[in-house]
Amino acid sequence: MGVAGDARARVASRPQLEAGPWRHIAGRHLLPYALIAPALLVIAGVLAYPLGMLAWLSTQHYGLRELIQGQGQFVGLQNFEFFRTDPQFRYVVTVSVIFTIVNVALSMSIATGIALLLERVSGPIRVALSAGLVLVWATPSIPAINLWQWMFDYEFGVVNWLLTRFGAGNYIHHNWFENPIQGFTVITVIVVWGAIPFLALMLYAGLTQVPRDLVEAAEIDGARPWQVFTKVTVPILRPVILVLFSLSTIWDFGVFNQVWVLLSQRPNKDYFLISVYSFQESFRVSQYGLGSAAAVVMVLILVVVTFAYVRQTVRLTTEAV
Amino acid sequence: MNPRKLLFSVVAAIALLAAACGGNSPSTTGNETGTLTVWLMNGSAPQSVVDGVNADFKAKHPNVTVNVEIQQWSDVTTKLDTAFAGSAPPDVMELGNTLVAKYASVGALEDISSKKGSFENSGTWLQSLTDSCTYQGKLYCVPYYAGSRAIIYRTDMFAAAGVQVPTSMDDLLTVGQKLMAKYGSDKNFSALYFPGKYWYAAAPFVWDFGGDIATQSGSKWQGAINTAQSQQGLTTLNTLVSQLSRADKTGDEAKQDQAFAQGHIAMIIANGWEVGVITSPKGGDPTLASKLGAFPIPSHNPGQTAPVFLGGSDIGISAKSQHQALAQEWAGMLAGTKFQSQMVTVGGVIPNTTTLTSLSSGLPAVFAAAAKNSRFTPNSPNWANVESANVLQDMLVSIFTGKQSISAATTSASNQIATILNS
Repeated sequence: MGVAGDARARVASRPQLEAGPWRHIAGRHLLPYALIAPALLVIAGVLAYPLGMLAWLSTQHYGLRELIQGQGQFVGLQNFEFFRTDPQFRYVVTVSVIFTIVNVALSMSIATGIALLLERVSGPIRVALSAGLVLVWATPSIPAINLWQWMFDYEFGVVNWLLTRFGAGNYIHHNWFENPIQGFTVITVIVVWGAIPFLALMLYAGLTQVPRDLVEAAEIDGARPWQVFTKVTVPILRPVILVLFSLSTIWDFGVFNQVWVLLSQRPNKDYFLISVYSFQESFRVSQYGLGSAAAVVMVLILVVVTFAYVRQTVRLTTEAV
Repeated sequence: MNPRKLLFSVVAAIALLAAACGGNSPSTTGNETGTLTVWLMNGSAPQSVVDGVNADFKAKHPNVTVNVEIQQWSDVTTKLDTAFAGSAPPDVMELGNTLVAKYASVGALEDISSKKGSFENSGTWLQSLTDSCTYQGKLYCVPYYAGSRAIIYRTDMFAAAGVQVPTSMDDLLTVGQKLMAKYGSDKNFSALYFPGKYWYAAAPFVWDFGGDIATQSGSKWQGAINTAQSQQGLTTLNTLVSQLSRADKTGDEAKQDQAFAQGHIAMIIANGWEVGVITSPKGGDPTLASKLGAFPIPSHNPGQTAPVFLGGSDIGISAKSQHQALAQEWAGMLAGTKFQSQMVTVGGVIPNTTTLTSLSSGLPAVFAAAAKNSRFTPNSPNWANVESANVLQDMLVSIFTGKQSISAATTSASNQIATILNS
């Protein structure tokens, strides 16, 4: 009995509350909905509506004429049908997927290394290192990319000058974007550079939560550093790692600024990632229906990929409970 | 709704709108209030000209505020699309002459055919600019100014290398080789600086050999950039670029004036107004002013010049503008004799009327003369999409970097152009 009995007694002593059945129903059933309504409204406004519009646009022929009249022409799945046979779109998707895998792998592994380093260095060094990471994270994306663009410039770039100066070969007038593999390497450097601070700091925050005694116990039992890392640290960090993996995948699959700004807003077709393709079709060629359809494909691929992550995360949380 | 019905209803809507507007007072009274928004492109009118037009306009319409906003060429189509889709696009906008057909064909621009006579000099407008403003027999904009390209060169370098202005394409190569021999030990030196994406400087070579971008038979477009003549022109250009240019083979021409001002370049293919950028104290080198000369791009036939692309801008008035009469008046002032004369003398461009071309002197006169043998891009509403898709730029990059042979690169570009123009 105890507390519950007291509560029941208190309710009974206030009959006016139970007097109206309406108020009862309202209190029991509607209040929770009323409470989540603002959040739902915001989600509907900023997520569901644009996504719905995107899906609707992707079934339309929506050129400039339709844009000005605000009235598209329904074509069903014709835009998607076009992708199925378009060799360029196949190239775009393949390149985007490879680019994402490489970038997620590189940024996650370098960030983990930095996080482990952060844990082991002395106080002042750690502060300096974290400050450096935060500064990179705080640099606005467009100016940062412009700086990188200068560094890799064909005529006046410091990278070509340095490489030549230090005897790595003749890099005078070396064009980093003539060969797409080299060009994508530069883009990868910039994307990874921009992603590392957040990932490293999150992982470092996770590392500080690994109980010291667990690590010590493992060490006493004779575990080597690598074994401690794989058998103790990683399993404890798994939820954080999963979330970071899915975030990185989403970011790297949607990379746009780096390509667009670096290549002076006129990237050639070798550099079309799926986001660039979608932008080009929509805002450059004024085929908004086709551009939207590309964006829908992009969302679908991401949903499939991140679903795996989310399922893992959910499984972990249920296990924990 | 099929396209023809759609087109019909658009035309009908425009006609109704025009009729509605025509019913109101066609001229302005001076008592109007409100704000007139004008979009001009970066680098088109000198500030003194814009200020002059605004001052004259203010004197006639003291209660109207004019907002002149400067747009960048690189993203202007995106901005125009968005603006026209909204309910309040700019009232007056400068449009590159290759963009007009795209916006006129979809009903974004006001049909001003009936007002043509009210614009100063409309009887002597440059034919090719008037053509760019005309879509299906109706006038959708006012010619603003034209520009054509010629070769700007360093007279001091030519003298030091003992060479004269070339009179044929072969001669151009010989002159360039002599300059390379004289200055080539400087690793940054280019006798003819030619960035890989510079399509409008490449077009004269294609046209000079009798090639073209695309040709129209009936309503169908056929790509022509892969014809034997076009390929011959591109082969000639490729030789020039590989021997004389150390410019970025994947770069564009945006920075060529700054590069020229650095002093390691003997020749560039440029617009007349670029002389001003090269000698500007901001980012340029004023001391070069006395060392610059210009000559038209020579033809492969000795003694003749190659046809050049006639670039330029027109002034459109949005169909959705609430201030049609005011917008026309402002556009008319900028396109009229007073300010066109200033555009020639201060801005160094080719004016919109043949009556003022004689005002050009010095270097601008060379560019004005080059414009006499000029060509235009395929006049199709879809041409802007060919430009936006970078088809010809990508083709040039493939050729110059050796990624594709000239025949493979031109065939693929030709197919793409035909697909876009016929879509």
